[in-house]
Amino acid sequence: MKVIIDFFSRGTFWDVLGIFFQYAVFLYGTSLLIAYGVLAFLSLGSIRRYMKKNANADYNIIIESPLAPGISVIAPAFNEGVTIISNVRSLLTFNYPKFEVIIINDGSTDDTLEKLVSEFELVQVDYAYREKLLSKPVKRIFKSTNPAYDKLVVIDKINGKSKADASNAGINVAIYDYFLCTDVDCILDKDTLIKLIKPFMDAETSTVREVNGDMQIQEDYKRVIACGATLRMVNSCDVDEGLMIRVRPPRRILPRFQEMEYIRAFVLGKMGWDRINSVPNVSGGLGMFDKDIAIKAGGYDSLSLAEDMDLITRMGAFMTDNNKKYSVKYVPITLCWTEGPTTLKVFGRQRTRWGRGLAQLMSTHRKILFSPRYGRMGLIVFPYHFFYELLAPIIEFLGILFYIYLILTQQINWPYAIILIVFVYTYSVMITTIALLWDQITFKYYKTWGETIGLCLMAFLEPFIYHPLIVFFALKGYFNFIIGKKHTWGNMQRQGFSQPKRRTAVKAG
Amino acid sequence: MWNDLANLLFLAYEQFSLLPLFIEIALILIFVAVMATLIAYGSILFRRYNSSVYNKRLAHLSPIIEDLITEQVLLNENLGKDIPIEEIHFDQKALSNKIFRKPAVRQILIDTLIRYRKNFRGEVGELLRKLYIDMNLVEDSFAKLRTFKWETKIKALVELTQMDIPISDSMLLPLTNSVNPTLRAASRNAYIQLSKNEPFKFFDVATEPILPWDQMEMFKIITTTKDITIPNFSRWVSYSNNKSIVVFCLKLIAYYDQQTAIPSVLELLGTKDHRFRAEAIKCLGKLSAEIAEEKLVSMYTSQPVNCQIETLKALGRIASGKHLEFLKNEFLFSNNFDVQMNAARAIIRHNSQISRLMLNEIMETTNEENQLIIRHCQNPLIKY
Repeated sequence: MKVIIDFFSRGTFWDVLGIFFQYAVFLYGTSLLIAYGVLAFLSLGSIRRYMKKNANADYNIIIESPLAPGISVIAPAFNEGVTIISNVRSLLTFNYPKFEVIIINDGSTDDTLEKLVSEFELVQVDYAYREKLLSKPVKRIFKSTNPAYDKLVVIDKINGKSKADASNAGINVAIYDYFLCTDVDCILDKDTLIKLIKPFMDAETSTVREVNGDMQIQEDYKRVIACGATLRMVNSCDVDEGLMIRVRPPRRILPRFQEMEYIRAFVLGKMGWDRINSVPNVSGGLGMFDKDIAIKAGGYDSLSLAEDMDLITRMGAFMTDNNKKYSVKYVPITLCWTEGPTTLKVFGRQRTRWGRGLAQLMSTHRKILFSPRYGRMGLIVFPYHFFYELLAPIIEFLGILFYIYLILTQQINWPYAIILIVFVYTYSVMITTIALLWDQITFKYYKTWGETIGLCLMAFLEPFIYHPLIVFFALKGYFNFIIGKKHTWGNMQRQGFSQPKRRTAVKAG
Repeated sequence: MWNDLANLLFLAYEQFSLLPLFIEIALILIFVAVMATLIAYGSILFRRYNSSVYNKRLAHLSPIIEDLITEQVLLNENLGKDIPIEEIHFDQKALSNKIFRKPAVRQILIDTLIRYRKNFRGEVGELLRKLYIDMNLVEDSFAKLRTFKWETKIKALVELTQMDIPISDSMLLPLTNSVNPTLRAASRNAYIQLSKNEPFKFFDVATEPILPWDQMEMFKIITTTKDITIPNFSRWVSYSNNKSIVVFCLKLIAYYDQQTAIPSVLELLGTKDHRFRAEAIKCLGKLSAEIAEEKLVSMYTSQPVNCQIETLKALGRIASGKHLEFLKNEFLFSNNFDVQMNAARAIIRHNSQISRLMLNEIMETTNEENQLIIRHCQNPLIKY
């Protein structure tokens, strides 16, 4: 203690600050790397458990079962005229006995609605619409006169400038107890509904136990409130009429990095969190939810830029506030393929929005951070996101500035600095490679070993090319949040799925 | 040379021990990270190689196994001659092929036999079973059942069940109450399929729940297995402490339309758990239990919304016409949208002259919002 006091009393303010910063960053970095290491172990346990548990599961039984719970598939569409017909046809072909598909035409300015009406023989119906969740007004609701499309419902509403607003309108119309939220242009596996409903139906209920010589019923009901699955990039995959024919890693560099990032985030991150019942969010591209809880929690927040994590946070908070046990589940298999941005401009806009959304989320739900009342959400999920997601780009940026300062003032110990950089680099490559290995354990999505190894090698380039971009756009998002810059939803130029790439659609995020 | 190497290592260690602790840790972790990355690459390639070898092996073995099954079973000359299956004998030379001694091949053989048995019933199915027994594959399955790994036990249970091989109660019954839900479900399914006399015996001793997914699986097995003795499920409704068993029995009572179970189901209306009560009301509705109507209506106001909605659905299913006024009042005066919708549907479901007149009268007198609800419920394009 005396040594520390002596040191601080001898140094100038800047010396002390510099030393403090170095030690703080060292501790921060070490804890972050430990957290990733722990997640890697947890995810392996979770994946193995899932694979063993479902090795003999007969998913076909649900297809004929009268006991299968109903599911509403909700897919908002804005200016999707080019691909809407094949996408809706694809959604109507799920292997599941009891479902409906709700397409929300969110005030499209192209011919999306006209195409739907004509192709699926839709007529406007007298629909008793009740607004349980807030959304922009619904103008009309359509049903098909063709019995082949009796599962289809089309809502025509005024544009709400967000997916959240459209999704809320869809939830208001949904008739079943569970709903699946997706994007209309995503490619979904035909067994998506079966695979995602299973965790809801595997929830433990009551057990009869002998207590003091009497047989007593012990309620241990942990309600599953949401379930998600892995997403991948559809870029470069072969898709025919909404059906995935052949999975390939994207050829273009930006979506290729995203594929690697998604695998790491879902297979290693989400599955690791799943092991300790602390899944922070279910992706907006694909997630199944308990409708009752989602409505009671207030549905999607149309003002949130991270509406998916915001919904899970509010659903979790609702359960905790009402003293109910809950869990959010994840399955390690890929059930959804989405198109990743291929240009830096669109990618930057997406990541800036994510960064801003995270800052907004942390600010909105700050009462949960470190609150023991919210259990794992307050003491694990939120602190993790606060320190390692929200603060990471800031600390990284400050670290780079400090490094430059040390270099300019010739205070740097180059051999040690290089060793530390190599350490962080090799660790980062290791974590990504492990994530890709775990992914191989679940299913061999890529046909050739060249494709697999090719994707693995991206981990070596990531710290130099992709990661700086992520940090930059996240900081830009925080900056926009702080200055309160008005957010505009940009257009994403769709490339289309199958080759040759001839289709182009316009979509507002 | 070895001395030089040892000196070099010692020197390196000396240099290493002079470094600050965090640099030492960083160096160790660099080594660990590099090794882990290399191992991960190796594992990815090894897994792919292994899978490719397995596929090639399968491609080589499949024709041999298919030939065996075709020759010994499908094209067996004794089939269709009214010869008892036990008296049909296989070509022992074909069965004693050395290749069938390898455990991996025997597993492929079991899997193939199961696949065939799923597609063939009758004599061919029985002959496939006999082949499974004669090749002593049944012992392989029982060996798996005796292991400690639960996933291997499940595999054994699936094999033995598919091949209709009896398993003793002393071996199977304890597994039906396992704390592992997956093993528990598999053994319960096996018990129902294999126990010819008392397939539901484990209901009496089960303390662990039947999860909703398992209920679905079990429901299919019960409703599709031939020659299964269907008991009166009301005995568990009345006496079981296990809520999930009672709920499952309610579903089976409704499916098998066990009218004699109505008094037992009525008793459940007094239970404290509202989810449980809602299931009982649903069951009564599906049984069209007219006797329950008075009770359901009299307790209606004290019920939570989920039970109220189930009551309205039940009244619609029973459709005796005695409570149309009650349904009308609920439709007109309830503040809950879902209650209104279900009351309207219940009236429409009556489909009698009185109910139609009542709907006409409502449409003439009520406000536009209520009219829209009626039109919604009457529209054949809207299912719910």
